Amino acid sequence: MRIIGLNDREVEAGLRSVGLGLTVSEARSVAEALGRDPTVPELFNYDTMWSEHCSYKSSRATLNEFLHTEGPNVVQGPEEDAGIVAIDDEWCVVIAHESHNHPSQILPNEGAATGIGGIVRDVNCMGAKVVATADPLRFGDPYGEDKNHVRWVAEGVVDGIWQYGNALGVPIIAGDVVFDDSFDSNCLVNVVAVGVVKRGEIIKSRAPAGAGEKGYDVIVVGKPTDSSGFGGVTFASEELREEDEEANRGAIQIPDPFLKNVLFKANEALFKLTRDEGIVIGFKDLGGGGFTCASSEMGASAGYGMDLDLDLLHKASEDLPPEVVACAETQERFMLICPPELTPRALKIYNEDWDLPNVYEGARASVVGKVTTDGRYITRYRGIVTCDISIEHLTRGIRYEREERPRVIDLEEPEIAAPEDLSEVLLKVLASPNVSSREHIYRYYDTEVQGNTVIRPGEADAGLIAPVRGEKFGIALSVDANPFYGRISPYWAGATAVAEAMRNVAAIGAYPATLTDCLNFGNPEKPEAFWEFRECVRGLADAAKALWLKGYEDTPVPIVSGNVSFYNESPDGAVDPSPIIACVGLIDDVRDAVTMELKKAGDSVYLIGPRFDELGGSEYYRTVHGVTGKNVPIVRFELERNMIYAVIDSIAEKLVVAAHDISNGGLGATAAEMALAGRAGLGLELDLDAAGSDLSADRLIFSESSGFLLECREGAEEELETLLKGYGLDIMKLGNVTSSPELFMNHKGNTVVRMDLSAAKKAWTAGLSEAMR
Amino acid sequence: MKVAVIQFPGTNCEHETLVAARSAGLAGEIFRWNRPAEELTEFDGYIIPGGFSYQDRLRAGAIASKEPVMDALREEAERGKPIIGICNGFQILTESGLLPGLGGVDVALASNVMVSKGEIVRRGFYCAWTTLRCETPARRCSGSFILDKGDLVSMPLAHAEGNLVTADEDLMERLNEEDQIVFRYCDEGGNVEREFPVNVNGSRENIAGICNPEGNVLGLMPHPERSSFAWQLPPTDSAKSAGDMTAPGPGRRIFESMKRYIEVMR
Amino acid sequence: MKINLRVSLKIPDAEAATVKNTLRRRMGYGAVLAELGKERLWSIDVDDSVADPADLARRLARELVNENKESYKATVDSIDFEDGYVPVKVGLRIEDAEAISAQNRLRNRLGFDMVRSVERSSIWKLSLRAEEPERTAEEIAEGLLINPHKDYYEIMR
Repeated sequence: MRIIGLNDREVEAGLRSVGLGLTVSEARSVAEALGRDPTVPELFNYDTMWSEHCSYKSSRATLNEFLHTEGPNVVQGPEEDAGIVAIDDEWCVVIAHESHNHPSQILPNEGAATGIGGIVRDVNCMGAKVVATADPLRFGDPYGEDKNHVRWVAEGVVDGIWQYGNALGVPIIAGDVVFDDSFDSNCLVNVVAVGVVKRGEIIKSRAPAGAGEKGYDVIVVGKPTDSSGFGGVTFASEELREEDEEANRGAIQIPDPFLKNVLFKANEALFKLTRDEGIVIGFKDLGGGGFTCASSEMGASAGYGMDLDLDLLHKASEDLPPEVVACAETQERFMLICPPELTPRALKIYNEDWDLPNVYEGARASVVGKVTTDGRYITRYRGIVTCDISIEHLTRGIRYEREERPRVIDLEEPEIAAPEDLSEVLLKVLASPNVSSREHIYRYYDTEVQGNTVIRPGEADAGLIAPVRGEKFGIALSVDANPFYGRISPYWAGATAVAEAMRNVAAIGAYPATLTDCLNFGNPEKPEAFWEFRECVRGLADAAKALWLKGYEDTPVPIVSGNVSFYNESPDGAVDPSPIIACVGLIDDVRDAVTMELKKAGDSVYLIGPRFDELGGSEYYRTVHGVTGKNVPIVRFELERNMIYAVIDSIAEKLVVAAHDISNGGLGATAAEMALAGRAGLGLELDLDAAGSDLSADRLIFSESSGFLLECREGAEEELETLLKGYGLDIMKLGNVTSSPELFMNHKGNTVVRMDLSAAKKAWTAGLSEAMR
Repeated sequence: MKVAVIQFPGTNCEHETLVAARSAGLAGEIFRWNRPAEELTEFDGYIIPGGFSYQDRLRAGAIASKEPVMDALREEAERGKPIIGICNGFQILTESGLLPGLGGVDVALASNVMVSKGEIVRRGFYCAWTTLRCETPARRCSGSFILDKGDLVSMPLAHAEGNLVTADEDLMERLNEEDQIVFRYCDEGGNVEREFPVNVNGSRENIAGICNPEGNVLGLMPHPERSSFAWQLPPTDSAKSAGDMTAPGPGRRIFESMKRYIEVMR
Repeated sequence: MKINLRVSLKIPDAEAATVKNTLRRRMGYGAVLAELGKERLWSIDVDDSVADPADLARRLARELVNENKESYKATVDSIDFEDGYVPVKVGLRIEDAEAISAQNRLRNRLGFDMVRSVERSSIWKLSLRAEEPERTAEEIAEGLLINPHKDYYEIMR
């Protein structure tokens, strides 16, 4: 394509006429680097590799500035498809976290399914067995103007997740759902996948040492390449406009869990063969950016070049142009780099033992080229060289300095009179779509497959699995972010998301071992959106740094994987800043973990964490008073760390039999949920005066300041109090578990809440199913 | 005593099923669907585990039931060897006519329909723990060999198509009379309530599992392999944290039954 | 009056591919079955007083068809199938909860008061190289496409 010698308008016209997203200056820099006009396939390769999605061109500098990705337990930071931290001397946990927001808004079912499909490939290709997933979801207002469309998206996304995830055979053990009108035109569908691998059996997503010198084979495995997802990364890097929907549709990938299930088993056979024979391979999934992204990154990260023949790649049809073959995002594909002597056996595993051609029409494993030493990225198609560029230049990407400007919004605390009947108010909060039981959704998810599940959704703040038979250790997983806090303060939204995700795993007795962040924001070319992004990253990094990896003083909990999703914006506006955090917790013996439901009448109940006047963005303000407010919960880092450690230690010492963290809906919702989660028959009687605060009763009950409620094992009160004091925490013994299904809360001599739990259970259970009907 | 856990493309419970079978004292291996079918004869019993063979395309179990490995299994069944189909395995056994084993395809496992007070309250996939009541005397069937009539066994289920229906109006009577209804969904106290959530998928007469007339072939929708260890239980079960990591859960009795059946019958 | 929406996938139909492969490789129809396609059929019974059925069909399609992955053809009362294949309609003979839920959604949430009932089925389009294609289609329907305890089938010509 001609670029040299043309003016900007002509270059622009040329780029758009073939559907390229590159800017004129980006195209000129390509031509300059090549010293000639680039070919169309070359430009598409750059378009792909320099997209926001692949190159992090807007976000990289900020991420590097703030995030701590290293730590004593880190085996692999964010440089490859997934991050890895050590569980013990032998086993490691692998984690990846991504968004699939744009496609899910257009094709909810396939979009959400592809999200799971991509993330499990990222984990599997490290040589790991994928053992759990989690799904943080954000939908629009189910009772607002766009309610029918919002519900159509929500239903389609949940269907896509179960239809894909269940068939794949990976349990969904955690997730969250928030409804908020800022997501009316831009839903968020994030996915987290977790795997386990032995430290010595990790497979790298790069060409192995010697691959260039010895001419290793490059093999593509899986679905035949078609045009689906062509332009996908560019699509994910632009705002959604309705008139573009038809064009964007072409960018959607079509997932196939059945083929994926078979591919995983074939991969397992391949990995076993390479382990048995001591052969080092490179293995990577083909995700965003397709063939070009996988092949160029695998070569460049090892300092090698690639010589690839697109004619050899198996395709769904023979009339695809070379740039489509190279850049389409056809799902269910992997790339393998191996020594030629392994090739026949690798091909047999896929094409004969696992019979890919009969499992999916046209699927197979094909040798497509060789690794070279010359640093060139060469592709050929129908006998001509379609691309011959520096692999390093292609993969290095570009950086943008984006402008930031604080978003000025007018916030104030409302003047509100305390409602007369707090029981009724609490019932309303419990029935809100954002607080009510998540059962309507998680019953669609196979939370049990693989047989490793110890704690399921609905039983505690985090899910827990025992992923390796014969071992006692457990992996806990939780996800969190509150968009309402993000609207008020992006910084505290980032910090509280980290703190809450850690509290969630601590509440079952696991220690937070690593975090991932999936950062969902509007258009970064707008200075306010970019400021929100930077504030969130700063907040979450500060929290991770200040909350320390347990057992290591002054050492951040490492963030080993993550993803940035910009352009979650439509002409109606951007999504509320949503730094979605996942936390992996580890516990030595899964049998020591505790759940949240009340255990026994007579047990004492303790509050951890003083109540503050922090109701900004709270469920109470929004649902009951229709206001947002200003005083968002903040993280008091030292207090937070002491609370988290105290809870972990008290569970490890078997002083606590039930624990639940305080979040949406405040202390009131937390107490009610502990009673509602278990078998009927138990209740609570709590004295709010023991919280040692002069806040009014409604603020005490609904403040979302961080904390926990703990049910103490009978007879262990003194030991628990000693332990809490050791961490400098106030002793706030609020009351007892009772043997009648009622929740009482007393304040200054009055009973301010008296709730029949069987009636409350109906409202709490129906809240979400009504919103999704 | 060696069992084959049959693995179709799309099966996803083979590993935990083999682990559960081993915990009951059976030896075994995973048997890929396209291995030479004659190699099946060397096994003493067979388990078709859960999953989504061929992604439930057309109907759950319909495509897998046409695979040659099913013809080989039919021959082994005729020799009296035990076959247990779990979830998708049950669906495959009904589609291939091995269950209820009256000569043709005599039932269907249709899409779940959750009915409460006469209204459809939910449909589609459902995952939850359930209690099964054993409806047949001990030794009636390979997979309930050591269970007595009235015994309660809790285990999770997870499926979209487990609603047993039949167009043959005489069939239910026959299944009842011949003691071919092995498990029914019930509440924790053993009461067989006809509506959701106890009847979790709308199945005729709360049927969760049936056997063939000879008793060697059993199919059930819930997953005993997910209930074979105490730590797998829900937290409201007092046995959950008792004992070490190998302490048994109630589902193991299905595999122990199979083992006992093989011991007695061969 | 009955509004029929024939819906076909724009994206590859993996289910149809698997059914075709099974019929050809496992059930002996390799030489007989030339091609196999599938459509979904919504048959919606509406009040006879509806003035502009074509417009109603469009509005119903907006709710029942996802045009991002599907295309549809709407007809009123009759359906004319193309030449070159035997159309086999397969539907549930037991209560169809999905159709009931679609009907409730249309009537109660989306305000289509004129909808009386909704029926849902699949049309399997079998291109056969056989002496008596209808006879072979029946064989295929009974041998694979239906489970008679929940499904019925009907050769549509």
